[in-house]
Amino acid sequence: MESLDTILCIAAAAALDVCIFVLLLTAYRERRSSKKTWHELSHDMVLTEQNVTYELGCDEVLIGRHASADIRLPDLSVSRYHAMLTVSNGIWTIHDMGSKSGLFVNGSMVREAVLHENDLITLGNRRLIFRKRRSERVR
Amino acid sequence: MYANPVAYVFSCIFVLIAHIAMLLNVYFNGNYTEVRDVAVLGAAVLILDISYFIVILLFKQTSYVLDFLLILVLNMSFIFQSCFGKVGFDVKHLITCIVCLASCKAGYILCRNHKLLQDKKPYIYGGVIFVMLIVFVFTSPEDMWIRIGSFAIQPSEFAKPLFILACATSIADQQKKHKILTFSVVYENLALLALTAIVCLIQVKSHDYGSLPTFLSIFAAGFLLRICYPKAKFSKKKLIGVIALVIVFVLIGLKYAPEYVQHRLHVDIWSDKTGDGYQQSQALIAIAKGGWFGVGPGKGFLSNVFAFENDIVFATISEEWGLIYALMAIFAILVMTSVPLVNPARSYYHGTISACVCAALIVQMALNIFGSCNLIPFTGVTIPFISAGGSSLMVSGFMVGMLMAAQSPSFKEPKHKKKEADVPTWRWQE
Amino acid sequence: MKSIRRTQRIISLIIILFIAGMAFLVLKINHEADFYMMNSDTHQLGFVYDRKGDVLFDGTGQGSYPDNYFLDIGNLIGDDKGQMENTLVARNLQKLNNYSFSDGLKKQGGKAAIYTTLNHEANRAVFNSFGYMEGCVSAYNYKTGEILVCTSLPSLDVTKGYEGLENFKSGTLLSKNMYGTVPGSTQKVSTVISAVEIMGSAQLFSKSYTCNGKYTNRTGNDIDCHNIYGHGTQNIQEAFENSCNPFFAQLIEDDDMPLEKVKKQYEKMGYVLNGGKPTYIDINGIQCETASTTLENSYEFRTQWGCIGQGDTLVSPIQLMMWQSAIANGTGKMTMPYLIDHVTDLNGHEKEKAKTHYSEKLFSESTASTVKQIMLTNGSDRYSYLISGYKVGVKSGTAQVDEGAKENSLLVGFVDDPSFPIAFCILIEDKDSGYLTTEQVAQVLLDNLKNNY
Repeated sequence: MESLDTILCIAAAAALDVCIFVLLLTAYRERRSSKKTWHELSHDMVLTEQNVTYELGCDEVLIGRHASADIRLPDLSVSRYHAMLTVSNGIWTIHDMGSKSGLFVNGSMVREAVLHENDLITLGNRRLIFRKRRSERVR
Repeated sequence: MYANPVAYVFSCIFVLIAHIAMLLNVYFNGNYTEVRDVAVLGAAVLILDISYFIVILLFKQTSYVLDFLLILVLNMSFIFQSCFGKVGFDVKHLITCIVCLASCKAGYILCRNHKLLQDKKPYIYGGVIFVMLIVFVFTSPEDMWIRIGSFAIQPSEFAKPLFILACATSIADQQKKHKILTFSVVYENLALLALTAIVCLIQVKSHDYGSLPTFLSIFAAGFLLRICYPKAKFSKKKLIGVIALVIVFVLIGLKYAPEYVQHRLHVDIWSDKTGDGYQQSQALIAIAKGGWFGVGPGKGFLSNVFAFENDIVFATISEEWGLIYALMAIFAILVMTSVPLVNPARSYYHGTISACVCAALIVQMALNIFGSCNLIPFTGVTIPFISAGGSSLMVSGFMVGMLMAAQSPSFKEPKHKKKEADVPTWRWQE
Repeated sequence: MKSIRRTQRIISLIIILFIAGMAFLVLKINHEADFYMMNSDTHQLGFVYDRKGDVLFDGTGQGSYPDNYFLDIGNLIGDDKGQMENTLVARNLQKLNNYSFSDGLKKQGGKAAIYTTLNHEANRAVFNSFGYMEGCVSAYNYKTGEILVCTSLPSLDVTKGYEGLENFKSGTLLSKNMYGTVPGSTQKVSTVISAVEIMGSAQLFSKSYTCNGKYTNRTGNDIDCHNIYGHGTQNIQEAFENSCNPFFAQLIEDDDMPLEKVKKQYEKMGYVLNGGKPTYIDINGIQCETASTTLENSYEFRTQWGCIGQGDTLVSPIQLMMWQSAIANGTGKMTMPYLIDHVTDLNGHEKEKAKTHYSEKLFSESTASTVKQIMLTNGSDRYSYLISGYKVGVKSGTAQVDEGAKENSLLVGFVDDPSFPIAFCILIEDKDSGYLTTEQVAQVLLDNLKNNY
């Protein structure tokens, strides 16, 4: 009788264990689907510089020279916190964060600008292109 | 928006299986006189499960895993609470669980659009101060509860989610700097510091040393995430210096703490088994009696000890269900707080909310468990979701709602702003 | 993104800290559950056995035993009633409880037990040899540290309960082996050790003093000798055998025995000097007093009297016995005594097997061999016909207690035989109340141990 108690107890704990495990698996599945949702929300845009691609993974992306910036451009012509990209309603906007060398979108200096596909962003000596992510298959 | 239907069906099934396994354990091992008691309990649990599964279909969320975890933990706690002492039907706890689920959804709806909240920062600050004023005026060190008829609420609990919202911040806010002399300062950080000071002072004044560490940990998490964006580099050396300073202050504070605090710190529970150490020593004995697998639901003796269902609930569960099961229950809550690690938030505002919620929940758990097991001084804090108590469950539910919001955010500007043209045009000028 | 990752890092830090705390808590509970359980009101105690499996304590209370079966070890083994705190069972209740965290409290057939090193048969024989006299005897294997005999009279049979507690003779509820007593001339062993350690054996043997039955020291107090006619001029060996007080008083006064060095050596040997904080030897949880004396001025009566073993000096018999081990081993290190050989848990698995431990070095090897030789010569000169069949090194002592109203007789010594390494200490209280001598007890003790070894 005593062993039955223990077995039931272990069974209950095991069921809970398995349940937590399944929920974790679900969480991992959702990670993929929520990434997809995010790509839809953000129109799947990226910043590219020559052959480097910067993901835009959240709704506020800080660009600058500082180590804590999301996109770090180690170049003295770039301010520590140079510009910030934000998304809302699926529209990306870039703001100047009070940089020394200014922010240029398609060659014209701006404080704040709505970005469109294939816009050229110039921060100091660095040039970034704002474009849609190329799907792997095309390449 | 139901992106993973198969995973959700499986989640539902396994949550139900986990609860059924618990109910079987109650049926075979439990201490009850009539089978009807178990049947009623089981029916209530399963009905609540299934109805919640249906209700969450109405919410179009990107992520449902937190809902499943929440219902898993809440029904688990409902079964625990119903079985303490004797298998029964804890109506009060069932109602508070439903309230908790409702407040969770409320929290989700309120927080999912962070732009909305960011505009209302002053109201949030006002709310915290308002709640603190209520604490200050209506409660005394002897009685931290406000009684309205047969209901008793603990107002300081309600300050927690508001305080978390006050601590949350976006990167954009942190870049709004102002120069004071030579320092560039974000005004909001100063305001938060002042708010924390007020909260702490009122907590100390009302002798609520249980909530104080929770508030401080929320503040610490929030503040750490704020100071990452100063113009001047906040180096690791300085950070360690600040932490050392805080520790020194805490030590000095403890040294000159009032008499009753000192007493709490130094009580030796085994030499004062019937006095101040009664709850803790009984809790530890109960854990020892329960062993790994417990004595069986409803068969424990700890349900005769004061505050068995909230302050020393970990020991009560350990005794009746076994230490392994108690640890698993705690683990389920831990998994809940670690969901943001699997599925990261998409905005800094939600990220800071997740970190603060995580700090609040885990610090409360730690205070309760380690306190009742005599690792740290005993404070009357509750384990979120597991302990009985309306205010605590409601607030914990709201906090999980915040986590949920971080998982399924919506990025929409408030309506009053003009919508800009969404026509990408191809331009290339150099 | 870096900023989001920062929030995740904080979350993982908090979670890791919490998990570490939980792990510590689980380990702590697992480790201390026995202790928690002892504080609850339900116990299920097991047995205490001697080295041959003879029952010394029955925690179940269900077995039936002959009358006074536990009388000889009653106040050493004790019970769980809370009357005797400084006993084996009271101090080791946790080990005796049929409980473990993974198995819970076993109501029936638990095998938790303590296997002691005692020899119940020899112990009982020694106990019975006392007759109506009172005192205590302890003996142990000075190579391993196993306590073989440890008995104290008067004693009680714990199975009979504590009815009429107020009529019990004083000292019934404690083992006298563990408490300080006036050592009498057995203290001279310590003094000789100090002298050899300070002067070296050659110089000590070159010294000789005269005893006229009485010695007036430099501050004008008289040190009496038990031989009122005096022993004449003697060297250390003769004085040791004669147990001559004036000789030792003069030795203490000697300029080659500076008090500072004597004090240092005494402290090394475990004496608490001049009213310091008492120290204890731990024998499986049982607290055993060490030794204390007064050493203030070499030329004063009190100090000299202390070194001779009277006055303020108090030494527990166990401590006296342990010094013998340091001499007999020839290493100058005491073998630490223990009572519990091993413990079994409720499933019968053996655990906590005892190991032999040694103390710090109290004195050098050469000192040990010199003192050993002095004691062996004493044994062969004076005791070969009293304790027959063994090569013993001994020192007797007579201690005046109750301000000289009573005299206790003591005998400390060791058997110099590698195959039978026994050190012992025998105390007979109020020796004039009967005809029992310590040598007779020693003979009984050694014979019984030899037969059962």
